[in-house]
Amino acid sequence: MEARLCGRALEIGGLLYRGAEAEVYEARWFCMPAVVKVRPPKPYRHPRIDELLRTRRTVAEARAMYAALRAGVSVPAVYLVDPLEKIIVMERLEGISLAHLVEADSGRALEAARRLGSMAARLHAAGVAHGDLTTSNVVVVGDEVFLVDFGLASLDADEDDYAVDVHLFMRSLESTHPDHVEDMLKSFLEGYRQVAGGDAVENLMRRVEEIRLMGRYREERRRSVWGQVEQP
Amino acid sequence: MVSVATPSSYGSPPVDPRVLYPRLDWSRELYVLGIESTAHTFGVGVASTRPPYILSSARSVYRPEKGGIHPREAAAHHARVAPEVLRAALDAAGLRIGDIDAVAVALGPGLGPALRVGATVARGLAAYFRKPLVPVNHALAHVEIGRLYTGLVDPLVLYVSGGNTMVTAFAKGRYRVFGETLDVALGNLLDTFAREAGLAPPYVVEGLHVVDRCALEADEPADLPYTVKGMDVSYSGLLTAALRLWRRLGPRERPRVCLGLREVAYSEAVEVAERGAAHTGKPGVLLTGGVAASPVLRERVAAMAEARGLPWGVPPLHLCGDNGAMIAWVGLLNYMAGITVEPGEAVVKQRWRLDSVDVPWR
Ligand SMILES: Nc1ncnc2c1ncn2[C@@H]1O[C@H](COP(=O)(O)OP(=O)(O)O)[C@@H](O)[C@H]1O
Ligand SMILES: [Mg+2]
Repeated sequence: MEARLCGRALEIGGLLYRGAEAEVYEARWFCMPAVVKVRPPKPYRHPRIDELLRTRRTVAEARAMYAALRAGVSVPAVYLVDPLEKIIVMERLEGISLAHLVEADSGRALEAARRLGSMAARLHAAGVAHGDLTTSNVVVVGDEVFLVDFGLASLDADEDDYAVDVHLFMRSLESTHPDHVEDMLKSFLEGYRQVAGGDAVENLMRRVEEIRLMGRYREERRRSVWGQVEQP
Repeated sequence: MVSVATPSSYGSPPVDPRVLYPRLDWSRELYVLGIESTAHTFGVGVASTRPPYILSSARSVYRPEKGGIHPREAAAHHARVAPEVLRAALDAAGLRIGDIDAVAVALGPGLGPALRVGATVARGLAAYFRKPLVPVNHALAHVEIGRLYTGLVDPLVLYVSGGNTMVTAFAKGRYRVFGETLDVALGNLLDTFAREAGLAPPYVVEGLHVVDRCALEADEPADLPYTVKGMDVSYSGLLTAALRLWRRLGPRERPRVCLGLREVAYSEAVEVAERGAAHTGKPGVLLTGGVAASPVLRERVAAMAEARGLPWGVPPLHLCGDNGAMIAWVGLLNYMAGITVEPGEAVVKQRWRLDSVDVPWR
């Protein structure tokens, strides 16, 4: 209660990070270090679809963060959600993203990956899929690991969604940390196994393989007429 | 029907390739013939280390009377037109086969039967005329012809075609795939919808896809599922939902489905490209592949890039779709870097992934 007497509810500072869909600003929430995550309109989208999507994702993100918390997964505390303005005010983490840590200190990154694996397993057990499980969306603070960026999360997820999470994590290793794919994945799966058990991991990985084959190699995908377009 | 293009139609690169490929030795005057046959197009082009670099591009496109591509019919088409397309490309370049230093061929990814026609022709030419044979990855060729014709040195690439929807960028010796479709490709989505809805064939009328055309008559987009996962897109749910709605609605309301489908599909692709741009921090955006011919998609990519303060570009229309010239161009780069293959070992690779190809000349 003391905190509520301190300063104004929200003071917004400078831009910390310009993500793909959101802008993250430094802020204070009743004097506590916070960030404001804003989803600005996208000029390449139909305005109606854009409005719907930004509202939906803002709400989904806040809901999934609560669900994650209930599942025992560390996420920043949510202070304020405003679907009309498309903003979320949350606790500011003073840490380093896993993406940076992999390149800076691979030993610590492996430990973080193991923790992340356990967090993913807990999330999945609670019916939540993250939807954007990449090394950029994991923040390491000391020896604590936090998950952020739940805008694409789903709360009534199924096996396929869980497998997609793992696929996305693997993809982020392959594309961004090609020298750390095997060891990081191994740690991640180790962490996952500790929570979900060996059988669950085996089933999960079988589904991951199926998903990876489906998009990449399906022959019918080339049975299309694009490329026929000639100058009018 | 064979169409022949030369720099008078697709223009000259806006940059000196030495800027894009400083590691290669550009002192020798070389000519490379490239053969494309991964899907519906049989194309032959000629590239050189000397301006205008892309000397010619000839092609013939297999057009199924109904339905999508039948691989064996495509192969039969390719085999039938090969001699004529080959001659047209050499004639337009003002060269004879003797002037060619190496023969390049797209060995994948693509449809097996179609790929094998190009590989057979290339192997035959290389063996008979004693020319080195150069393997080329089709996706890499789309990217590099895009870099050459936009002058974007290190872009984030959105590669969209009938069979591919991919976000890629160069890092540590290879093009890394940051995202792609989890199921159907963007071009295939639009074509399948058009076909099933009875809007096609023909798929493209006066340079505009029939789905874009039908969308012109709508005021508001129908509400359809929008599925982005990380930097991947998924289009199969969108396709099913759009077709279901199309069948339920009357003729007056149907254009709303076209608009909804088009808006969601393009937006997903541009969104994952934007995610890729933010993630990699690359200083530009390149749109390439067959669907890059869509004026609506170009507009959207431009809007995204401009909002992020990034330059963007797209190759000339002729070089967006499958063509032999882009195979010749990467063939030239590979040849200069010493990448060749013995004709006996030049087997097609239907699933040859872009991120498995070492790119030593970048
Ligand atoms: N609560 C937070 N505290 C500190 N940094 C954060 C916080 N939330 C996000 N960030 C940083 O901002 C970046 C972008 O936020 P994110 O939610 O991932 O948005 P986007 O959807 O644009 O990627 C993250 O990668 C992380 O580095
Ligand atoms: Mg993020």
